Amino acid sequence: MNFSEYVVSRWDTLSLAAAEHALVVGIAIAIATVAGVGIGLLAYDAPKVRSTSVAISAGILTVPSLALLTLLIPIVGLGWGSTLVSLTAYAFLPIIRNTVTGMRGLDAATVEAGRGMGLSRTRLLLRVQLPLAWPLILTGVRISAQMLIGIAAIAAVVDGPGLGTQIFEGLSRLGSVNSLNATLAGTLGIVVIAILFDLFFFAVRYITTPRGLRVRP
Amino acid sequence: MFDRDTEGVRIELRSLTKHYPGQPAPAVDNVTLDIPAGELVVFVGPSGCGKTTTMKMINRLVEPTSGEIRIGGQDVLSLDPDQLRRHIGYAIQQVGLFPHQTIAQNIGLVPNLLGWTADRISARVDELLSLVNLEPSAFRDRYPRQLSGGQQQRVGVARALAADPPVMLMDEPFGATDPITREHLQNEFVKLQKQLRKTIIFVTHDFEEAIKLGDRIAVLREGSHIAQYDTPAAILADPADDYVANFIGQDATLKRLALMRVSEVPATESPAGPGLPQVSADASLREALDTMIAHGADRCSTPAGVLTYAALCEAVGTRSGEQEDVVSSDR
Repeated sequence: MNFSEYVVSRWDTLSLAAAEHALVVGIAIAIATVAGVGIGLLAYDAPKVRSTSVAISAGILTVPSLALLTLLIPIVGLGWGSTLVSLTAYAFLPIIRNTVTGMRGLDAATVEAGRGMGLSRTRLLLRVQLPLAWPLILTGVRISAQMLIGIAAIAAVVDGPGLGTQIFEGLSRLGSVNSLNATLAGTLGIVVIAILFDLFFFAVRYITTPRGLRVRP
Repeated sequence: MFDRDTEGVRIELRSLTKHYPGQPAPAVDNVTLDIPAGELVVFVGPSGCGKTTTMKMINRLVEPTSGEIRIGGQDVLSLDPDQLRRHIGYAIQQVGLFPHQTIAQNIGLVPNLLGWTADRISARVDELLSLVNLEPSAFRDRYPRQLSGGQQQRVGVARALAADPPVMLMDEPFGATDPITREHLQNEFVKLQKQLRKTIIFVTHDFEEAIKLGDRIAVLREGSHIAQYDTPAAILADPADDYVANFIGQDATLKRLALMRVSEVPATESPAGPGLPQVSADASLREALDTMIAHGADRCSTPAGVLTYAALCEAVGTRSGEQEDVVSSDR
């Protein structure tokens, strides 16, 4: 059986694994975006909160994924629980950091003019600061997503969802029938998912960036 | 609030002080100042003298440590700061337009906050763009990044005027433009203020600009202490001390000539000889003098007759005498 025959014959398993892979990354990214942007907004103007949150999220990233996935089993169990929690934890650093950088990088005059015209802090945040910092925040989310798609493959060791199972199964039986095909299918599947996520973020970025920021002088 | 009228109202500062924690001296130290309704008062002084801080306390971007601010008799410190700021025009050097909003949205921001209808805001935006000499149809839907520095500054002024506030605070609003554009904007602004009669506090470190725009000038020193507060002509004629004299520079008389128009000086009726250089009636005396020097003449012809060098000197001399009386009676 060559590679294409393998993909066709295992299509149900492969497509389900790919969908789960994308889903677990998507959910983790969604949670990390909401929480991370929130933390970033609380932190950007408070030096202590800022350095603490960046240090913690950077610290999490230094824990090897295999270790984190395994260590979480007693707390949240095998499979989805452990996978989702670890992926979410890994996603924080780029999102928090880019939110902080985006908010701090805003033109001080724009913010002062907004305050001076009587925009309340909430309105200023929602109508001026967030839209202007948004392209940078979105870049952070995109980096996190790319990172998580790779890490999610490791989740197979804790019986997590996704294409990692294909890769690990293939590797453990290397030399036997279809072992190479399985490994290849898992790897290429992950590459395809990564490309699709990137296209998605490209589109989101285009649609959600205010036109005034895209125009050329 | 204090803006039932759109024309200027009086601003009173009483013992206004701002002391930042951890600093030895207050940034603004016990300033008391009256700004008459409808006048443009320029705060002028070196950088770091506290002029901007003083101005920002009026719309409470900086909260005073102590003291009192009244606008149109109303105690500003008892009002909600956001509400207050919607009733005070605010223009700054870096303009600070919102890059993600169109020019129309930028100008319409405060009217929008005040709950005006869309039609009224749209009409007001067109009116204001015309007022600052930008063609509404060409500019309303553009974005700030598509405008030149000078155009952005005009939009900044239009935005500050949007809700027709009686009081405007302007912090070097023409500072970031090249000298030619700046002069052009200043001239337009003088004309505009003649129509609008707002009460304006205008901050600058440029004394020339202060003379040109101000009905009155407050020369400030360290800690926002008022070195002298008077009309430009009176300050030029009789600086209160060496600090003010230094600030004016060496050419006080020339600057005073620049404040007077040819039409204000009675021309001798002698018929204009052929070959006399011409000046227009609304040229300044400084320009008239420049014309005389350029032609090596001691007279030039004006629409009303002939203006002599002697008449020029007399205009400055007599005026200085009059103003000394005014100044001493003020004290």
